[in-house]
Amino acid sequence: MAYEFTKEDLQEIEKIKAKYPEVMPATLPALWVAQRRFGHVEPEVQRLVAQTLGLPEAHVHGVANFYTQYYKEKKGKYVLDVCTCLSCQLCGGYDILHHLEDKLGIKAGETTKDGTFTLNQVECLGACGYAPMLQVTNDKYVNHLTKEKADELVEKLKNGEELEYEQIKMPQHKNI
Amino acid sequence: MPEIFIDGHRYEFEGDHKVLQFIQDLGKEVPFFCYHPSMTAPANCRQCMVKAGQYMKDRETGDYEVDENGDRVIRWFPKLQTSCNLMAADGMVILTQETDELVKRAQKDNLELILINHPLDCPICDQAGECPLQIQTYKYGPEGSRFEVKKVHKPKRIQLGPRVVLDAERCINCTRCTRFTQEISKTHQLTITSRGDKNYPTTAPGREFDDPYSLNTVDICPVGALTSADFRFKARVWEMNQTPSIDITNGKGTNIDLWTRDNLILRVTPRYNADVNDHWMPDAGREAYKIFNENRISRPQQKLDGEQVLSSWNNAIATFTEQIEETDNSKIVVIASPHASVEENYALSKYTNLLGLNQPVFTPHIEEGTRDDFLLSDDVAPNANGCRLLGFTELDKASIKKEIKKAELVVILNDNLIDREVIAADDLKEKFVVVFATNNSDTSKTADLVIPITTAAEHAASYVNVDGRIQRTYRAKETKYTDRRLDLEMSEGRLDRYGTNFDNWVTEDNKVDCLPVWAFINSLAESSGLELNFSDGREIMDEIASTVDSFSGVSYAAMDEQSGIQLSIKKETSTSK
Repeated sequence: MAYEFTKEDLQEIEKIKAKYPEVMPATLPALWVAQRRFGHVEPEVQRLVAQTLGLPEAHVHGVANFYTQYYKEKKGKYVLDVCTCLSCQLCGGYDILHHLEDKLGIKAGETTKDGTFTLNQVECLGACGYAPMLQVTNDKYVNHLTKEKADELVEKLKNGEELEYEQIKMPQHKNI
Repeated sequence: MPEIFIDGHRYEFEGDHKVLQFIQDLGKEVPFFCYHPSMTAPANCRQCMVKAGQYMKDRETGDYEVDENGDRVIRWFPKLQTSCNLMAADGMVILTQETDELVKRAQKDNLELILINHPLDCPICDQAGECPLQIQTYKYGPEGSRFEVKKVHKPKRIQLGPRVVLDAERCINCTRCTRFTQEISKTHQLTITSRGDKNYPTTAPGREFDDPYSLNTVDICPVGALTSADFRFKARVWEMNQTPSIDITNGKGTNIDLWTRDNLILRVTPRYNADVNDHWMPDAGREAYKIFNENRISRPQQKLDGEQVLSSWNNAIATFTEQIEETDNSKIVVIASPHASVEENYALSKYTNLLGLNQPVFTPHIEEGTRDDFLLSDDVAPNANGCRLLGFTELDKASIKKEIKKAELVVILNDNLIDREVIAADDLKEKFVVVFATNNSDTSKTADLVIPITTAAEHAASYVNVDGRIQRTYRAKETKYTDRRLDLEMSEGRLDRYGTNFDNWVTEDNKVDCLPVWAFINSLAESSGLELNFSDGREIMDEIASTVDSFSGVSYAAMDEQSGIQLSIKKETSTSK
C-alpha cells in the first residue's frame, strides 16, 4: 500500500521545516505528523517522510527506530502502555496488566483481532506517585488503576468516548 | 610559539591540533576506536581519555603562576577528557595512560564496558590479528570480565550489500561506517538503528548497501562487525604478507596494499596517500586481485597449425627474432600500452629504436561513465600519461586500425585491444601477431606468439596517473624465476620467513612462468646481435630519468620517499581524465 500525505499534512511539515535553519531537526515532528496520519511509521512511511523532507532514508529510519514512541509496525487504535516498573509493580502493576490481558484476550505486546487495542508492558513513565498507571497511545495517563477502573477505561474506549486528563493534586499537609 | 606538555615533555605546535592526533604524530600512543583522521570526531567510544589541565597564567603579567616550591600551578579540567576532540591549547598539560594511574584505570574500565556484549570469538573472526579492539584490550584492557550474565544477542551474518556482511554482535557502535557514508562517500546509506545495548549499524529497510566505496567501511571497522563478503574466512591476517602497490584498474593510481599468501593475492586494501586517495579506494579496484591470480599465461605459447600450443622461451625468442628479420621495417607496427608500466614501455621502445623501427604507438583506454567525483576516472588504464611522456604517438581507434592494416608483423604490449573493442579479431588476420600478455584474453588467443609477462604484482615498475603523478609498485608475488628469500626488496610475511615446505600455504604451485618485459627484451636483443642490458625497474627508471626530459629527477628512492612524484603533463592530457 502506498502512503501519501494530505495537503494539510504537507503544509504542516512545511511549517515545521520553517522553524529550523536545517531540515534534519524537522525529522522528529515530521514523523509525528506521519504517525498521527497513518497510526504508525512502518518502513514505507519512513521512506515517505524521508522523501518529503529530502533526507536520507537511513537517517529517518535510525531516528524512528531510536524512539519507542514511534510505532514501527501497525498497532491497535488504542495502545495501552501498562507500567510495570518498580513503583507500579509494588502497587499491583502486574495485576492490572494480567487483568487486561485476560479481559482483552491477548498477551502483552499483542493487538486484539478487531484492531482496537494493543497492550504493552512498559518501563517507568514517570508517574510513580500515582501508581499503578497506564498510558493510552502516547497521550493521556490513567492513574491509580484498579481492576474496575481498567474495565471502565476499556469500555469507554470501545464506545469511542474521549478521555479526559486526570488532574491529581499533590497531598496537602494540614495544620501548617 | 604555543607549547603543550605531554607526559612531562614539552612540545611546540602551530595551528589547530586535536590532542589525540598530535600525540599520534609524535609517534606516541593513546588507544581509541571511533576517531579517524579523515572524519569528524564524535568521541563516542570514550577510549582515548586523558587527564588534561592548563598551567595558570597571571592575567596581568602574563607569567605562569608558581607555587611555594617554584613549580607551575596546574588547573586540571574537572574530569578526564576525550583527547580525540580536545583542541591543543597554549600551556596545556596532558597526562596519558603512560604517566597517570587514573587515565590507565579509566581506559581499562572503559574497555571492560565495551567488551561486555562483545562476543569473544576472535579465533573465528576475520579481524583477529588486525583488530584494534583485540590489540588494545591486550595492551590496556582488564584481565578478565566481571560480567557474569548472558550477553545481548544481535543479528549475525546480515548481507548488508553485495560486498559487505554485518555481524551486529561484534559491533561496538563507533559509527565510523555511518560517518563514512555521510562524510566521505556521501551516499548516507548507513545508520545506527535501535538504542542502548541493542543498537547496530544498518541500512534503511529494504535498501542495499551498494555504495561504490562500501568496502572502505570494512577497512575502518575497528572490530570484525563489517567484513568483506569476498574475503570472509579466506585467510588469517598473520598468514599473509603485505606489499605496497598501485591500483592498475583505473587511471587515478590509487595507492594500495597487496596481501599475499603462497603467491596468491588474496585481497587489496587502500594505502594512505594524502595527495591521491587519502585512506580510501573504490570497490572496483579490489576485484583486481583476480587479475594477478587467475587465468594467467604461464610459459610462452605459439600457434602451430592454427592452434596455440605451449612453447619454450628459446623458441619464442627465435621465432620473434626471425619474424623481425624477415619482415620489412615499414611493415612492422609496435603497439605500446597504457596498461603497461613506464619501464616496460621504455624497454620495448628502446629495442625498437635500436632496430630502426617506427616509434611505438598507443591508444588510451577510456570508458565513458566510469568517472565519479572521487577516486574513479574515465581513463581506466594506469599509465596513459606515461606513454604520452615517453613521446609515443597517441592514436584513436580508426588510425590504429589503419596502422595495423598496413603492417605484416604486429607487436602488442599487454593491451587487450580486441577485448576492449579497439580492433576486431579480423583486423589481425593474415598477419603475424606477437602479444606480450599477463592474462588469457581474446587478444592473446588470436596471437601467433604469446609472451607471458609479469603483472604489477610481480615487478617493481612505475605508472603515471591521470594527474601526472608517477608512483611505483613493488614485487609482491614470486614468479618461477624470483625468490622472496633471495630478493631483499620483497617483503616477507611470517609464513615466508618461518614456513617450511611441509606447512600449509607454502607451495610452488602458484608461481607463474613469466618474465618482466625488459628481461625478455634483453634476450631478444642478444639474439639479434644488439646490446641491451636491462637489469630491473630501478635501473631502467634511472636511465629514463637521464634520457627523457619529462622524467628528470625521478628515481625509485625519490618516489618511495615522497610517495610518488608529480610530473608536469600537458593541459590537454590532464583534461582527458
